[in-house]
Amino acid sequence: MSLANVIDTFLNVWVFAFIGILIWLYFKKDSDG
Amino acid sequence: MLKNPLLLIALALTGFVALWGIIDTAGLTGFSAMLTSLLFTSRSWFIMLSVSLLLIVSIWLAFSPYGKIKLGQDDDEPEFSTVSWLTMLFAAGMGVGLLFWGTAEPLSHFKVIRNYTDNFRAAEQALFITNFHWGLHAWAIYAVTGLVMAYFSFRKGCPNLVSAPMKAVFGHRRWTKSVGWMSDLLAIYAIAIGIGGSIAMGVFQIQSGVESLFGLSDSGLWLAVAIFAVLCVAYISPLMVDLSKGMATLSNIAMAIAGGLMIFVLLAGPTFFMMSGIIGSIGDYFFRAIPHGFKTYTFFDEEVITWFQSWTLTFMVWWFAWAPFVGVFIARISKGRTIREYLLGVMIVPTFFSIFWFGVFGSIGFFEVLRLDAAILDALNTNINDITFFVLRYMPLSHLTSLATILAAFLFVVTSVVSASFVLSMFAPGGDLNPPTNTKLIWGAILGALGLVMILSNSIDAVKSIIGLAALPFIFIVLLIVMCLLKALKSEVT
Repeated sequence: MSLANVIDTFLNVWVFAFIGILIWLYFKKDSDG
Repeated sequence: MLKNPLLLIALALTGFVALWGIIDTAGLTGFSAMLTSLLFTSRSWFIMLSVSLLLIVSIWLAFSPYGKIKLGQDDDEPEFSTVSWLTMLFAAGMGVGLLFWGTAEPLSHFKVIRNYTDNFRAAEQALFITNFHWGLHAWAIYAVTGLVMAYFSFRKGCPNLVSAPMKAVFGHRRWTKSVGWMSDLLAIYAIAIGIGGSIAMGVFQIQSGVESLFGLSDSGLWLAVAIFAVLCVAYISPLMVDLSKGMATLSNIAMAIAGGLMIFVLLAGPTFFMMSGIIGSIGDYFFRAIPHGFKTYTFFDEEVITWFQSWTLTFMVWWFAWAPFVGVFIARISKGRTIREYLLGVMIVPTFFSIFWFGVFGSIGFFEVLRLDAAILDALNTNINDITFFVLRYMPLSHLTSLATILAAFLFVVTSVVSASFVLSMFAPGGDLNPPTNTKLIWGAILGALGLVMILSNSIDAVKSIIGLAALPFIFIVLLIVMCLLKALKSEVT
């Protein structure tokens, strides 16, 4: 597996994780705002 | 100012990149190009999805009950007249790019698309793609970033910082502090590098115009440095006066020249041809823009995919690079307007202006190719900086119009530097809405130094890649702060 593939996989995981975090934060109830 | 660690790290970071660019231009270009290409190749769907979602959210907010909420307290009134407001935001958001790409961009698309269809359809499609790059999607990125800043700053009383929405909505927690700090740093970095590159590109374009006007060939570095020196003298005085006086006057003059130029070309050129192009492209644009935002060209051949990456994705990422600067700036001038008025003003008016602009300058380019058989497509390969002047040479009073183009490009660069210095000054001391003159002057000098470094390194390709690198993380930050806005609006109404 080349370095480019490793970075590519990492970025894919990050993008999906980010989308998940965003949705979770939006619906999270205990905000201070 | 020197006690501010955020500012010092931002200065060190931008200085490091500038230094790296001088010492090892090829290394910096290669590194940036490798990372940008990695992101473009596999994340194009995410970039297009993000841009389209921002547009849909903007349209929804404008027409939802949230549209009535004021960016400020309920009794706040707008600080600038609507005309001044529109010209200022347009000059900051597009400015010199329109003068540069007016004819060059539609013709560049035409050259590729005509390999797949006949010339007339290729021209139509080229105009549509250009309008897509400069239209609602671009302005939605700016509008929504500016909206978040304006809402939290003027309505919630938060500092005018990218990190403020996170802290306001989720409180002062460990993650909001660290992510917020990183966001502010990236915003300063993106603005400084972006404006440095913009100064260099503006100077090279003005240089090309001066060469064309006075028949100079290959004037070399001395002309670029001379133009840069004049530019520095020109932007120092507006930094010393109040924003409302300096910026509004400069933007109004630049926009008046650009508008006058557009009307002149429309009337002096083949008016029927251009008006038909404009009307056709309005319908084409508004019926196809939103579905086109989801297009990723996945199943096309390598040539089309490369073209998509080097144009559509590059433009979309560029708008993100400029979002912290233009967003914060238009937020600053939009106090007292309702969310609906703000969003419709920021998105619709500049989009219409762009459609007219590219309708005029794109159509005149197509006219020269299709009817006059001019060698403009060859000129596109040899010197893209010269395309606007090439078109003007086919019109009456070409010396005067070339001079007006140079003057407008000059003023657009000056307004960009002035407003960027203002925005950076607001960031650095912790969100001060009226930063002191000396802070603005220091930023003006830093931006000038970055611009000079880029002029001397003579490496615009490297600059473009570096700007791309600064912009890519900003896609995530913009999405995060938009989520904060939606959450805050929901809690304000309920």
